[in-house]
Amino acid sequence: MILLRLAARNATRNFQRTLLTAGTVVFGTALLTVGLAWINGIFGQMFSLAAASTGDVRLVDPDFAAREDLFPMYEYIPDVGPLSEKVREVPGVIDVYPRIITGVTLTVGDEIGDVFGLAVGAPKEWYEKRLELGKLLVDGRLLEEKDDLVLGKTLSDRLNAKVGSEVVLLGQTQDGSMSPVKGTVVGIVSGGNALIDQQVFMNLEPIQYMVDIEGGATELLVYGDDPSSAVPLAERVRSVGGSLLVQAWSQRDPWSGMMNLINVVRGTLSGIIVFITALGVWNTMMMSVLERTGEIGVMRAMGLSSRGAVFLFVIEALTIAALGGMVGVLLGSVGAGFLETYGVELGDQVTQNTPLPIRSRMFADLSWSVVGTSFGLGLGMAVVGSFPPSFRAALIQPVTAMRSRR
Amino acid sequence: MRWLAMVYGLTIFSAVAMVGGESVAEAAPTPTAAEILARIDKNMTFETRSMTVKMTSVSARRTREFQMRAYGRGEDQAAIEYLSPAREQGTRMLRKGEELWMYLPSVEKTQKISGHMLRQGMMGSDVSYEDMMAASDLRTAYNAVVTGSEDCGNGRMCWKLEMTAKDSTVTYPKRIAWIDQEYGVSTKQELYAVSGMLLKKWTMSEVKNFENGRYFPTKMEISDQLQSGTKTILEFTEIKFGVDLEDEVFSMRWLERH
Repeated sequence: MILLRLAARNATRNFQRTLLTAGTVVFGTALLTVGLAWINGIFGQMFSLAAASTGDVRLVDPDFAAREDLFPMYEYIPDVGPLSEKVREVPGVIDVYPRIITGVTLTVGDEIGDVFGLAVGAPKEWYEKRLELGKLLVDGRLLEEKDDLVLGKTLSDRLNAKVGSEVVLLGQTQDGSMSPVKGTVVGIVSGGNALIDQQVFMNLEPIQYMVDIEGGATELLVYGDDPSSAVPLAERVRSVGGSLLVQAWSQRDPWSGMMNLINVVRGTLSGIIVFITALGVWNTMMMSVLERTGEIGVMRAMGLSSRGAVFLFVIEALTIAALGGMVGVLLGSVGAGFLETYGVELGDQVTQNTPLPIRSRMFADLSWSVVGTSFGLGLGMAVVGSFPPSFRAALIQPVTAMRSRR
Repeated sequence: MRWLAMVYGLTIFSAVAMVGGESVAEAAPTPTAAEILARIDKNMTFETRSMTVKMTSVSARRTREFQMRAYGRGEDQAAIEYLSPAREQGTRMLRKGEELWMYLPSVEKTQKISGHMLRQGMMGSDVSYEDMMAASDLRTAYNAVVTGSEDCGNGRMCWKLEMTAKDSTVTYPKRIAWIDQEYGVSTKQELYAVSGMLLKKWTMSEVKNFENGRYFPTKMEISDQLQSGTKTILEFTEIKFGVDLEDEVFSMRWLERH
């Protein structure tokens, strides 16, 4: 108890040094709060968009999944209606949507041009409820009639297409025959990324005709009530999936790798900040130990154990860190809150060149876990930074210390 | 369209081979390159021609049938109109010189087939647009040697020829062909990549005798060796040589007529 009182008293003995130590911790924890909230925001946004656009769980032909980049339309799920009904009966399943995505050449006007895009065909409810395309409309409306088309902004710019323009999509059937369909642009959307802006969205029926898999689809997207529970949902859906490949969004590339990446990024950022802050704490605490060498010598002569000496300085550092941590988390929360509210515009140049589902404006995600982690790591910085000076204090011999007259 | 030109192209090199290379056949009656060429020319070249083509495209998943009407004038002009199935009905193709056009009636658009599209299978078959565009004059494209004489099925004797492209722009850098010694038409071909990989196999059969002693194969089977379990069968009926064909047939106006 006496050691705790001593540590508390020492913390207030040299105000400037204490302020310096606390300032270091404030800086470190504030930076951590903003950094962790930012990382959680970016990845959270990406993951939620991934789950929304690819389904919490997806059913596909295994051969389709193996060559997905080549759009092998012949590896499709025939007659998706009955299978959709079976999947809907699985506990936890809320929605099921068939979808087809394939490459097309788009044309406005007489000559078939060379503007390439991805044609996405799905029920209109999927666009409204899951992709939330309505929020991205910059002109016109969403799909209503069979031949309606909604163009991504990049495609509409390249085609010089407007709402009302007639567009010809030249794709291929499942056998590789050239297969055109015609539609009318009813809306233009901008998601700020290549995934939305270079796509043309259409109803399921015309794309089924284009690729010649009427009644079928290449993917069946399944949604539950929470994307984070997609893995157990996939387990349940597997029981009705037959020979199809059933995967949660987090089990598919690139997301499976990214789940590990987020932990690596978080760990690396935390490690660097803790290390730098701990260096600051180490510096000020070492100054404190050197100043008090004589005093420590006397205390050691009066019976203070080595462990007691370590304890004395660690508690002193923790006291300062607790105060600094609170202030740091508070300041960091203000910054993270700002980023959570207003976000940061990355610019189309960044987002249009990535295949990942990210919006051009990214937001932080400040949560209690971020606050707790930052504060906890703030205390950790103090412990790490105070250990070397504390051990030095513990090694001081009383005779040597008193001779030094400090 | 180029069906005849193809047959011509795929067979003519057997004769051309003798021009570009040295015959290794030992049998005395082996004809010269000029003699084989003359026979092939007699069989395969035409001023005008019309015919109905049934194309059956077979894959592991399904079999599709197409009916087409094809017209040709000389080596440079050809036209095809798809009669069935319903989703392809009215689709027309026109070759004028080195250009190939396709009219898509459902959207009333004309697509020029060029670049990478030339390597795609026509209507998803094993016959690529590039195959259709292949020059029939193989004399300028290939060096060749006669590598032997052998039974090429049904007791029929064939000359075997191996051809090597003279430059890298030729679609198939190497070909091996078997030429029926009696009919003077190619009955089998193997088409290779520069690496030596076998790309396609062609067989020609049901050779019929037309007017003026012309022999012509009325059935072809093509198999793309890069795809598993696919083949395309072409059957020619109502073949007429020397018919009157108006200029209109080989015009963009014919291609895009409604």
